[in-house]
Amino acid sequence: MTELAPSKKALVAQPGEKGIDPRGPRFGAGITAVLLLVVLAVGLLDGFDLPSGVGARILRPEFLILALVVVLFAWGAFAGIRRHPYGRFFAAAIRPRLTAPSHLESPKPPTFAQTIGFVITAVALVLQIVGVPGGLLFLAAVAFVAAFLNSVFDYCFGCQVYVLLVRSGLLRSGARVRA
Amino acid sequence: MNPALVVILLVALLALATVAGLVGRSRAGRVKASGGSETVAVSELVPGESGGTAATLLQFSTEFCSTCGPTGVQLEKLATEFAGVRHVDVDITHRPDLARRFDILQSPTTLVLDGDGAIRARIGGSPRLADLRTRLAGLVAVGARTAGTAAPATTTAPTTREAS
Repeated sequence: MTELAPSKKALVAQPGEKGIDPRGPRFGAGITAVLLLVVLAVGLLDGFDLPSGVGARILRPEFLILALVVVLFAWGAFAGIRRHPYGRFFAAAIRPRLTAPSHLESPKPPTFAQTIGFVITAVALVLQIVGVPGGLLFLAAVAFVAAFLNSVFDYCFGCQVYVLLVRSGLLRSGARVRA
Repeated sequence: MNPALVVILLVALLALATVAGLVGRSRAGRVKASGGSETVAVSELVPGESGGTAATLLQFSTEFCSTCGPTGVQLEKLATEFAGVRHVDVDITHRPDLARRFDILQSPTTLVLDGDGAIRARIGGSPRLADLRTRLAGLVAVGARTAGTAAPATTTAPTTREAS
């Protein structure tokens, strides 16, 4: 085996890190996109005017469905993409019906994408609790576009957003945290 | 809100996202020419590495990038097609200084350096290999002309990358 150049060693999969089928996260993002579209439809039908009570704002159907999406994002972000229910369903029921993938990918990028999704949708819930009109719907729309691009166009958030976060200095201290 | 209006808004959002996806796809991987006024010393950037005598494919990657690995394999293979061309992959996950210095907005970003280390082209995303091959052939031809002889083939990088 050829000794790798120093610049390339960092990018080789860590020992024990197993690659995943790249189609799995795209499948999951598709389900997420549909759920977010339901949130938007229900929320728009309810309108931008929010009830004055916090309890009533939390009990709005768009809040409850989005809360489910937040829990699913948190699952992927904190437990890892492979332990996510969509990932498990894909591995158990869908992948056996597909041909072998052309290559396997690191689970880190989709796990990072789940973290971004978690932050956006969690902030959306907070805006609704605080009572910002249209806040939940705006961020749900942002999250929908992201999930849609991820699923349909194979857009990779780790590729784009991570570099921007590092450059902005937001991730400087947390940069050494391993996903 | 009126249900018909809701449907219109949702269809508009879907159309917007589709257009964004199509525009992004049409832009990704294009080989964009650079002036060549800025030079990069590969050995300074990555201790223990060196650029190719004719050209270098300098790839910047991060750990959170799913297309970086496959791109690295493709560029490594492409480099072996030419004498004097090397592929060097730099992990900028913990190097915001490099991201700022080369104005990197996405990973992978690949810089095409000539034999003197001058930046000749820049590629954002997974490169279009046919275009990149043409560009490299040009650089290798120029390198061979200025050197008077064909560049030695011994500088090509190893073909294998760990697949385990």
